[in-house]
Amino acid sequence: MKSEALQELVKTIFDDEKTRRQFMSNPDSVLAQFTLTEQEKKVVLNTHAKLGLVTADSPQLEATLDPTANWHAPIP
Amino acid sequence: MWQERQAALLRDEIEALLSLLPDMGSFYDLVKEPLTQDRRGLATEIAHGRPWPLLPLIVCEAISGHCEHALPAAAALQLLMAAGDVFDDIEDADSSESLPARYGSAVATSVATTLLALAERAITRLKARGVEDNIIVRVMDTVNSYYTTACAGQHLDLCLAPRITVSEDVYLRVAGMKSASQVECACHIGALLATASKELIDIFGRFGHNLGMAAQITNDIQGVTRGSDITKHKITLPVIYALAQTDGEVRNQLEDTFGKQAGPVPNPTSIRDLLFRTGAIHYATIKMEFYKQRALDILSEAEGAGASVERLKLFLE
Repeated sequence: MKSEALQELVKTIFDDEKTRRQFMSNPDSVLAQFTLTEQEKKVVLNTHAKLGLVTADSPQLEATLDPTANWHAPIP
Repeated sequence: MWQERQAALLRDEIEALLSLLPDMGSFYDLVKEPLTQDRRGLATEIAHGRPWPLLPLIVCEAISGHCEHALPAAAALQLLMAAGDVFDDIEDADSSESLPARYGSAVATSVATTLLALAERAITRLKARGVEDNIIVRVMDTVNSYYTTACAGQHLDLCLAPRITVSEDVYLRVAGMKSASQVECACHIGALLATASKELIDIFGRFGHNLGMAAQITNDIQGVTRGSDITKHKITLPVIYALAQTDGEVRNQLEDTFGKQAGPVPNPTSIRDLLFRTGAIHYATIKMEFYKQRALDILSEAEGAGASVERLKLFLE
């Protein structure tokens, strides 16, 4: 699943301060500007609710990346 | 707990297979070693966290309510994955602790080949569990088909390794072939040993694919947050996003790091921060959640078709 609209959304949020602020306060209004599928919208909103913008390592991100999340052991 | 019970049964099955080896102490220990590594069938903690080695058994039980007859197939997959780990170590040659580093490539190749042969023997043990011959043949064909795909994916990955112009589509195709196919195989086999319903077998195959993709992208994100993929110049999903979406000095820094295959990375932390700053980790996290959501949706479909999927949600929490 490659989604150019999803890439464009993330790029705009991270590149443009005004859009970022708008996304933080009213994500739906920003999502409406991009041609995302309903499933993509749902996942973007869920990720935002769970983690906010992932701009640095955080306990929430670490929790999402459960150490046993992969069937391969992590490379030290 | 059910995990401990299934893990103990799987360990017994693997030990029974290892007992088929000729009586040569050191050889037995060498063949056993890859199976005792983290997240493999003889590891001590497989019942905790996400019990990956038990996945075919959990799928089988979700559909039919029992799974002991599937133990030889679950053991076969552990033997195949352990063989793959050893072959990976030979290819990568990047760990002083690995079997090839300690005993040499010739010994490691012999160990990996033995594990492959034992995996074939494991599948034939389904007969003693009352599985019909035609199903055993289908299991063997399915396993070999998925692992052929995984090998082709590995080949494609090796061919692409020196290029920094890999597109997301190509990357996802390789991840699907090389990594997700193994999880898909585990789910497909578990379903095949539980039901004749093509619909259910297909549902669990799709569940496995999406679970495998989510796991691979999780691994990609961890490779950046822990820095291991940066120091290895490994091009994964966050890097592909960042290369496609940046220009100027930022892109130059990324090209300097990921355009080479070897040599030290002067400041891995600054590259990690850059991948956070450009939204590459955020993008990869959304993709990971996307595959997780798809897997969850497919589990609802499986539930609607009569499967009991609670235990499988463990892999998506």
